[in-house]
Amino acid sequence: MTTLDSQATRHRRRKILRTIGVRGGAYGILILVALAMLFPFFYMAATAVKTADDTFRYPPKILPRSAATATVAGEEVELFNAPIVGGGTEVTYLAESGIRAGLFANLDDVEDTIAWPLDRATDTGSTVVLDEETFPVYDVQVGDESSQRALVRNTSVGRFVAIDDASVESFAVVRTTEPAETVEAQWQNFGEVIELRDFDRSLTNTILVTILVVAGTLFTSITGGYAFSRVRFAGRDKIFVAYVGSIMIPFVVLIVPLFRLIVALGWVNTLGSLVWPFLFNAYGTFLMRQFFVAIPKELEEAAFVDGARRWTILWTIFVPLAWPAIATLATFMFLYAWNSFIWPLVSINLANSDDFVLTLALQTLGGQSGEGPNLIFAAIVLSVMIPFTVFIMAQRYFVENVASSGIK
Amino acid sequence: MTTKLTEGITQEDLPTWFKPLVAWRVVVAIIVSLTLAATILKRGIEVEGLLRWTLALGLLGAVVASVLAIRWTSAREHRGRLAGFVLDSLLAVILGFVALNGMGMFTGIDAVGEAFNGSVGWLGIVIIGWLVQGYAARTEAPQVALRQVARWTMITGLVVLLLAVGLIPGIIEFFRRAVQPDVLVFWVIAIPAGMFARMGWTDSAAQLFETTESQTETMDGLLFVAPNALGFLAFFAGPLVVSLFISFTEWDGLTAATFVGFQNYIDLLSDNLFLRSLRNIVVFSALAIPLAVGPALLLASLLNSKLPGMKAFRAVYFLPSIAGVVGVTLIWKQLFNSTVGYLNFMILKATEWINALFGLELEAAQPQWISDSNIALFAVVILFVWQQIGFNTVLFLAGMQGIDRTLYEAAEIDGAGPWRRFTAITVPTLRPTTVFVVATTTILALQLFNEPFILNSPNAPAGPANSTLTPVVYLYQKAFQQFQIGYASAVAWALFILIFGVTLLYFRRGGEDGVLSA
Repeated sequence: MTTLDSQATRHRRRKILRTIGVRGGAYGILILVALAMLFPFFYMAATAVKTADDTFRYPPKILPRSAATATVAGEEVELFNAPIVGGGTEVTYLAESGIRAGLFANLDDVEDTIAWPLDRATDTGSTVVLDEETFPVYDVQVGDESSQRALVRNTSVGRFVAIDDASVESFAVVRTTEPAETVEAQWQNFGEVIELRDFDRSLTNTILVTILVVAGTLFTSITGGYAFSRVRFAGRDKIFVAYVGSIMIPFVVLIVPLFRLIVALGWVNTLGSLVWPFLFNAYGTFLMRQFFVAIPKELEEAAFVDGARRWTILWTIFVPLAWPAIATLATFMFLYAWNSFIWPLVSINLANSDDFVLTLALQTLGGQSGEGPNLIFAAIVLSVMIPFTVFIMAQRYFVENVASSGIK
Repeated sequence: MTTKLTEGITQEDLPTWFKPLVAWRVVVAIIVSLTLAATILKRGIEVEGLLRWTLALGLLGAVVASVLAIRWTSAREHRGRLAGFVLDSLLAVILGFVALNGMGMFTGIDAVGEAFNGSVGWLGIVIIGWLVQGYAARTEAPQVALRQVARWTMITGLVVLLLAVGLIPGIIEFFRRAVQPDVLVFWVIAIPAGMFARMGWTDSAAQLFETTESQTETMDGLLFVAPNALGFLAFFAGPLVVSLFISFTEWDGLTAATFVGFQNYIDLLSDNLFLRSLRNIVVFSALAIPLAVGPALLLASLLNSKLPGMKAFRAVYFLPSIAGVVGVTLIWKQLFNSTVGYLNFMILKATEWINALFGLELEAAQPQWISDSNIALFAVVILFVWQQIGFNTVLFLAGMQGIDRTLYEAAEIDGAGPWRRFTAITVPTLRPTTVFVVATTTILALQLFNEPFILNSPNAPAGPANSTLTPVVYLYQKAFQQFQIGYASAVAWALFILIFGVTLLYFRRGGEDGVLSA
């Protein structure tokens, strides 16, 4: 009896342990992948608020850093991590620079040198030969200690004073002293990039084009989908098959003739060329038709008896029912219109930045070696802000509908 | 049939608009005939070559239809109503389009864009109002006041937005341009055409022509499908046919095109750059498709486990699909940077870590991701897979949610572990989804353009030593940089044939296997 019990317990415990192992493994993989997905976006956000120099730092650091400053005696001063007497460094500011100094080497080890003001050293009059060269020997007063060192050459140093204790001072060559840094975001990057390229214009152009494309496509797809699903007319099914077949045709096949067409219509290099050709979408029509077909006939028949027109029936009965399909299509068209690149690249002249959409503005900005990555990244942040906000608010529609539309 | 119809209505019963309608039918016939004549005689209508003959053929059809419509209308046959309705609608739409285009209405978005830039804040107010209203509608009764406030905020925002983008000066400008003589002539025909089309659709017209239910339904159907179908013809089907035709010509886009038969396609077969682009895209697809699909299937089955937090992971994985390829590619361009980029830094750190752990002295590889011709294509693979994998995961997940849970439960009782359940249930049942995911990924991969183009800009979009030259990049170079438009169209069609063939193969295989397993 007891052996059976303990066997069962052991079995159960093993099972629990295995479940924990499996789940832990699953979470481990999921978290790793999530980090891989998120890291470029963290990097984007951090780089967008860096200084230009900071983006070229090696080894790279993720958080934006800039020179640290403090206010000393009413003046803003830059801070340095200056080496202090007795080892270590201290957060200091440069109190005085251009002090005449010497580079003094240890008599036993020529590599061990310090830069120290000449007025804190006294010439002993004797000389020493180091590496077959003759140098004068000085008494160098460092802190409380004094030592004999050889003056290798003349230089100049700065006097660094600790910000929290004015009695702590140190001398070092300013150029080689490590500036102190703080983690600080350069929010003005966003303003700068907007100024630089009329980025706000590109942003609003994109919003305008996206609104028009989404609204227009919804309209044509709803009316078309309704006609193909609920109105019988000669040749309907043949036309519908042609529509569905056309979904397979890649856009690149159309790009050349479509460009000739907009040239002929005089639309080249205008925002209109990004809107009008894209309001008629076979996929959208297909999506709406599939949804309308599934709506029970009784619903519209009752309205027909009341003498309602098809137009009224479509907008008062069908459209409210088809909300999921409409949301899906709107999602698709939003992503498509917001992110389309090759067509604007072809149709909008790169000299005409008034008609840029975000993708073009980013591409031109990214192609200019003159701009630092920090400004490019600020522009990227501006360009993804709206899609990300919409995504966070309407996540359900994005993920679930995009998925279901693919499977149905 | 005709005599029977006319018996019901005597000459006196005819509505007053019947005679103008017949007269209008004659006017339409004359207008269409004159346009046909102008097209053939090249007077005022400036289209050349094949397009002119296509137009002439279409117009000839319209002439025949409009003449027949006179007869049918005066005899009050139903087809007279249908033909007249179709002719009038088309006339109104086409001439209205020409007039609006002449008025610069389609390119007017540019002006709106400028005004919109200054007033976009009002759009924010509209959206906030809409969101608050939606929130108030979903809560209990006390929120009615909030809902009203939100609604009026929304309406006010919209009105101010419209005024701010110049609605009123826009309308004034519209009418000012509409009365310009070269535009007015089109309106003079388009407006009556529209009115007669509207009249032809009314119930009294239906009575006059004794139209049956199904005939009315046909007219309804045409009307509903028209906005979509006309645009589809103009911006999809038409260009598609033209594209095929251009691919058989030699054309620089300025001078007249020369018909060269299959020469472009024959040239493609010996064009080293095109063959290079094909090789690149095949290597790319062979790497990128398995990497973007296989792990996605695995991730989806992990996400399908109903453990807490799965929705958050799903959302995170979907982010790269939202972000937009240009921005994402620029981010990766910096990550790929061989001296200060994170990718090489991570490789360095990982190598140091492994060396420390196992006491090895491996040297960290620091590849020139973008500028080394042996590696550039792999950089594109990494970027593509990173962007695509989450989307594919979500597709697989949707497919999995359709699988019967009891299958898994039965398997678990039989002692099948997670891996066994995955290979024996998930993979086979998910075959249709897999075919779909593989097919869409393939179609995307074969049309690769954005990633290599942006990674390499502003330098050669073909990448170092053409190592990331893809068919679409090649097409772009030929059509829009070297102006070999005929040749570029041949590239497009060759790519289309490739895509079509591969997709067909997938669905054939997928379909057959599906039947066999079922």
